[in-house]
Amino acid sequence: MPSEYEALVAALKLTEIPFAEYGWKKPPDTNAYGVVSLDFEAGTLNGDGAKQDRAYEGSVDLFYQKLANRTDLMEAVEETLTEILGNSWELNSIQHETNPDLFHVEWVFQCVHNDTPDAGGGS
Amino acid sequence: MGFELKIDGMAEISEQLSKLETEAPAIAAKALYEGAGVMADSMQKGVATIRTAPFQYARDGQTRMPSPEEKAIVEQAAVGIAKFDKNGTEVNTSVGFRNAGYAMLAGKRVPIPKVVNAINSGTSFMKKQPFVRKAVNSGKAKAVQAITNTILAEVDAMNKK
Repeated sequence: MPSEYEALVAALKLTEIPFAEYGWKKPPDTNAYGVVSLDFEAGTLNGDGAKQDRAYEGSVDLFYQKLANRTDLMEAVEETLTEILGNSWELNSIQHETNPDLFHVEWVFQCVHNDTPDAGGGS
Repeated sequence: MGFELKIDGMAEISEQLSKLETEAPAIAAKALYEGAGVMADSMQKGVATIRTAPFQYARDGQTRMPSPEEKAIVEQAAVGIAKFDKNGTEVNTSVGFRNAGYAMLAGKRVPIPKVVNAINSGTSFMKKQPFVRKAVNSGKAKAVQAITNTILAEVDAMNKK
């Protein structure tokens, strides 16, 4: 598991927004909540008959009711993404669900995992 | 001290370049069509990976899987290659479900892109399965290769005419 992803999960859980990995069994009874997941392997750098580095793509989803402070919520997520991943993320979509009446913001990010043990293990 | 430089074949190169100027738009369109085909194939493979569970209403805010009926709608919708937008040698298109139309689901007429989007991005009641992003990621390099190969083959064929 890329350590950057683990750091991102930990940092998102420190925000005021309740975050879960890979979805909620039952979402919290709050105005906003989030989901973070690592979705698939996006690319590899091979050498010496092994995968040396792997890029993973993941996503952060924020669900919120019509709120005055939605800019604050989005900024909290984006500041966390920048703090952990630099600029390797982008805002993928902003959608609206009618039932329940929710907004859904999705960010996509990539992080790298180093598979070579003598290069310091997971990075 | 005299110096003479002689280059042969300039006439042929000039002729080939002028042929390329007239044939480039057609070559670009053919190459893009090949690349778009690769992306469409990758997308279809992605559709096959969608996991399903029998439909049940999401209760108490719990998330559910797409139903087999929802997957069937996406499977039966042809992955479309949009009409080519040509501007000189620049050709653009898009591949996906944008113009896939409507389907009947539980007696209701639903837009197919909406079903695709719910599965791909997830919703508050459906767990995401980002098969479109994954298909784009895995198909991109192969599509670029198909475009390059087509351009090289077409230019080669043009030069042999």
